[in-house]
Amino acid sequence: MTGWRHSITLRLALAFALLAALVFAALGAYLSRSADAHMAELDAHELLGKLALARRVAMNETTPAALAARLGDALVGEHGVIVAVDGEKGPIFAWPDAGTARALAGAAAAIGEIPLRLELAGGEYRAVAGALHTGWGEEARVVVARDIRHHTDFLDQLRRDFWLAVLAAALLTAAVGLLVARRGLLPVRVIARTAGRISAGRLGERIPEQDVPAELAELASAFNAMLGRLEEAFRRLSDFSADLAHELRTPIHALRMQTEVALGKPRAVDEYRDLLASSLEEYERLSRIIGDMLFLAKAEHGLIFPGKEAIRLRDLCQRLVEYYGILAENVSLELRGDDVDIDGDRLMLERAIGNLLVNAIQHTPSGGRIVVAIAREAERAVIAVSNTGPPIPHDALGRIFDRFVRLNQDNEGSGLGLAITRSIVHAHRGTMAVRSGERTTEFVIRIPLRVAP
Amino acid sequence: MKILIVEDEAKTGDYLRQGLAEAGFTADLVRNGVDGMHEGLSGDHDLLILDVNLPGVDGWQVLKALRAAGRELPVLFLTARDQVEDRVKGLELGADDYLVKPFAFSELLARVRTLLRRGRVPEAETLALADLELDVRKRRATRAGRRIDLTAKEFALLELFLRRQGEVLSRSFIASQVWDMNFASDTNVVEVAIRRLRAKVDDDFAPKLIHTLRGMGYVMEIR
Repeated sequence: MTGWRHSITLRLALAFALLAALVFAALGAYLSRSADAHMAELDAHELLGKLALARRVAMNETTPAALAARLGDALVGEHGVIVAVDGEKGPIFAWPDAGTARALAGAAAAIGEIPLRLELAGGEYRAVAGALHTGWGEEARVVVARDIRHHTDFLDQLRRDFWLAVLAAALLTAAVGLLVARRGLLPVRVIARTAGRISAGRLGERIPEQDVPAELAELASAFNAMLGRLEEAFRRLSDFSADLAHELRTPIHALRMQTEVALGKPRAVDEYRDLLASSLEEYERLSRIIGDMLFLAKAEHGLIFPGKEAIRLRDLCQRLVEYYGILAENVSLELRGDDVDIDGDRLMLERAIGNLLVNAIQHTPSGGRIVVAIAREAERAVIAVSNTGPPIPHDALGRIFDRFVRLNQDNEGSGLGLAITRSIVHAHRGTMAVRSGERTTEFVIRIPLRVAP
Repeated sequence: MKILIVEDEAKTGDYLRQGLAEAGFTADLVRNGVDGMHEGLSGDHDLLILDVNLPGVDGWQVLKALRAAGRELPVLFLTARDQVEDRVKGLELGADDYLVKPFAFSELLARVRTLLRRGRVPEAETLALADLELDVRKRRATRAGRRIDLTAKEFALLELFLRRQGEVLSRSFIASQVWDMNFASDTNVVEVAIRRLRAKVDDDFAPKLIHTLRGMGYVMEIR
């Protein structure tokens, strides 16, 4: 598996384990210290008790032998306690045996009434020492020690057990952490699997957003939205290619048929001439479609850079109306409005508005009326081309600016005119709208006004 | 009239040369910028047709070199890119006209003739063909002595035909000359306009003067 270092699951599990180990270790250290202190306190209590006992006994006895006997009686049954009493003239008492007690007494110089921990003959002891006033008037010194081996053994055992517990806890939490993290990250796997399934042919896949925890909902919905955009763009692209192929195939097929049939038998020169002329017309049409498609493709990628000259919209529309008006037989064509100036590309704007005019002329029934109205609206120039005629169906209005949309099946045009118009308007930072009512249809272009130089 | 063609595309170049030769010009073809520069500077051509998209030394460099050397022959440049920058750049560098590929050959021919004629012959004020007469200054047209009423655009169209007698005029050239419409349009505005002009100028008279060349355009001549 690549990137163990980057595995969230592993990192979470390790973090859990480390945390558990730290908590347990701290707890263990605290407990061990308090057990230690508690033991020391118990020992001190006992040692000081024995010291007090020795002092009281010593006070009441009148001979060293009596004192030794009393102390011996008092200490019967005590294990691990060492007592040594030294008088001015030598040892008076030693418990449990002379050897151990002497060894202790030898080390006793440093010992005081505060319990001291010391090692002696391989054993561990805690000891106190003090002066002793005997009943016969001799000043003696007593050392009381306690073998604390079983205490330290116990504490050592406790610590060992505890470290094992820490280790076990760390392992357990790591395992649990691993499990929890895996489960928690399951939706991420689902997202990854979904992403893995997506290919050009399967852009319809989506992450089920309702199953995703709140933290990942944003990611899932962003992911789904991205898929949506991709799907839409991809659909447009493949539609575009399919449309283009269709648009080009049809005339090329016709050209081919025509040429094949023509070559099928010898013909008169005039027939060949006709054939070539008709081919030429098709070539022109094809090269216009390709040019238009290229323009649209460039526009879609923001590669159309219109010139910026001062355009007097009224003059421009006047010329267009004059030119295309020739086609408007039995239809009245009127130009209205003030002179409004914009910055733009004359050729492109002629083409954009010209397309609207041609469109209007083609769709206006005999006796109808077309109005080109120029107006000023806030910071924008408005060019509205309206014509009388049957309404455009509502569902067609939405895709009227798409490529190759021909509302009229027997319409000769390429179906690119309105798409080009919109591209040009957008390249001029303008907007394009269409409204179709019962009796009139209106296309409206809005383009920012000319900025005074 | 000698025309130099600088065009690297083999077929385009060959057919340009053939077309121009058949239209009565002497046409020389070179296929790269270096030869173009050399021929343009040393030759005695009356017009240069220059493709701007050449490998190595491009058309702009050829144009600059010619103008820098003081060669003032008219230059018509060809560009594949329908972009404002190209149009502006070419004209700024001293070209006289341009065409965007793909273009109609008849359009190229018409523009070549315009460029060659420019400044050469003073524009005649009365034009005539057969019994059709046009007084440009008085805006009067007559045929067989009968006055013909023409709209301003019809008059401009007829004047164009009369000035270009015998030349094939493509629809796009006519649209650009008469209506100042300079983009390829797939409408039949020009056809309709010519049909109307014919109704006034040709229908009631003989011989017919305006002829249609299918796929090419129109020509005015006595056949």
